[in-house]
Amino acid sequence: MAKIIHYRNKCIGCNICFELQPELWRMSMKDGKATLLRSQEKRDTYIISVSECHLQQSRDVAKACPVNIIKVL
Amino acid sequence: MKKNNIELLSPAGSFDSLQAAINAGADAVYFGVEQLNMRAKSVNSFGVDDIARVADIARVNNIKAYLTLNTIIYGHDLQLLRSILTEVKKHGIDAVIASDFAVIEQCSQMGIPLHISTQANVSNIEAVQFFSRFADVIVLARELTLKQVHDICNEVRRKGIKGVSGDLVKIEVFIHGALCMAVSGKCYMSLHTQNASANRGACTQNCRRPYLVKDAETQEELLIDNEYIMSPKDLCTIGVLDQIIRCGVDVLKIEGRSKGADYVHVTTQCYREALDALESGNYTADKIEAWLRRLSTVYNRGFWEGYYLGHKLGEWTSQPGSAATEKKIYVGKGSNYYPKTGIAEFTVETGSIKPGDTLMITGPLCGMVKEKAQKLVINGRVGTEAVKGDKITIPFGIKVGRQDKLYKIVEAANG
Ligand code: SF4
Repeated sequence: MAKIIHYRNKCIGCNICFELQPELWRMSMKDGKATLLRSQEKRDTYIISVSECHLQQSRDVAKACPVNIIKVL
Repeated sequence: MKKNNIELLSPAGSFDSLQAAINAGADAVYFGVEQLNMRAKSVNSFGVDDIARVADIARVNNIKAYLTLNTIIYGHDLQLLRSILTEVKKHGIDAVIASDFAVIEQCSQMGIPLHISTQANVSNIEAVQFFSRFADVIVLARELTLKQVHDICNEVRRKGIKGVSGDLVKIEVFIHGALCMAVSGKCYMSLHTQNASANRGACTQNCRRPYLVKDAETQEELLIDNEYIMSPKDLCTIGVLDQIIRCGVDVLKIEGRSKGADYVHVTTQCYREALDALESGNYTADKIEAWLRRLSTVYNRGFWEGYYLGHKLGEWTSQPGSAATEKKIYVGKGSNYYPKTGIAEFTVETGSIKPGDTLMITGPLCGMVKEKAQKLVINGRVGTEAVKGDKITIPFGIKVGRQDKLYKIVEAANG
């Protein structure tokens, strides 16, 4: 299992994570930022565990995020 | 002295810069919130909750405050946009600066005064006429010549083009700060290379770097020497301000929401003085030279007069970062204030301070203040050098707290 971490408050709502990986991301209609689906929140940081099959794509998403707020561990 | 009707508009990317702009004599400030302004990556970006405080500070100081909402807006931003505009309306922010039609539409519906951003690239009188149905101020494209600006201002008066408020629509131009290699900031370069859209305020500034040219046939590489061919020098119009005023413009804007309070203070103050000098007939070559020297002390990539004098292409800078003649070195932050005696205490966190050093303090209450440390009180005693962990105290008329930063000013090597 790997972890995806999203430092949400720095999100600029560019949409790219949702476009690349719609199964894990949504754009919030409320504040225009990305939401990591089914994640747990700890002080504005959102975390989920994902299976290996999501890993490569998540790495691509992390690389694509223009403000570098997605980490894959 | 407050001059004619020309408004000097300064950037406020933080509470420090906001106060610096006020202290230095700005008539108005512009600021952005959340991700819907062109400085989304700026560390000090304001949040929606800050709108009330900015409005309050502006009101108390009798200046205007405009909120910049000039990115491209996507569907998922519309709700956020609405909540930001609700706050704008509630707290009486003077206007919103926009280019996306969603912002224009919502402001019109809500009766919020509107300024058309330079991102809309307004370059002719018919575009001014079109936008005047929604707005009171039009910021012109930065690529126009003075003659073109002049013609537009004349036509506004001749045709009597009025904005929403019923007054003649006002024309605003940029007078100082960074320029972009793309027309009106519409650049896709960092989107192509790093997925970071400049039009969402995420520009990674890769135009500011040096580049190699590669011959595809021979694979030979040439380094483009001495010129950053996509990085224009900064706009500086202090020497042609008389000509700009004669065009008949109403608002003069200084760029720089992601720059420090020192930049905001110095640029605002120089242009304030220049405007006052123009008003009183004292706008002299000596003064221009002195202002240029002062403007060079803060962040800049070298100066040129932009496209106003008829240049078709940019003048490129010859170095990667700032060409500022002074450098600020962070030394520590505010740790205490004794209001009865007016003494501020700072804790040194890095580097050192000696008597005779020029210190700079930036903070939300003081803006930017420079002081020469004639004698240094370290941990309660007069001393010769303060280092990490030491507490220094200086008489300071304004309350200081943890948000206040202490810098040492030194001459920059490239100056
Ligand atoms: S890629 Fe990054 S900045 Fe863009 S929406 Fe996703 S998390 Fe936000």
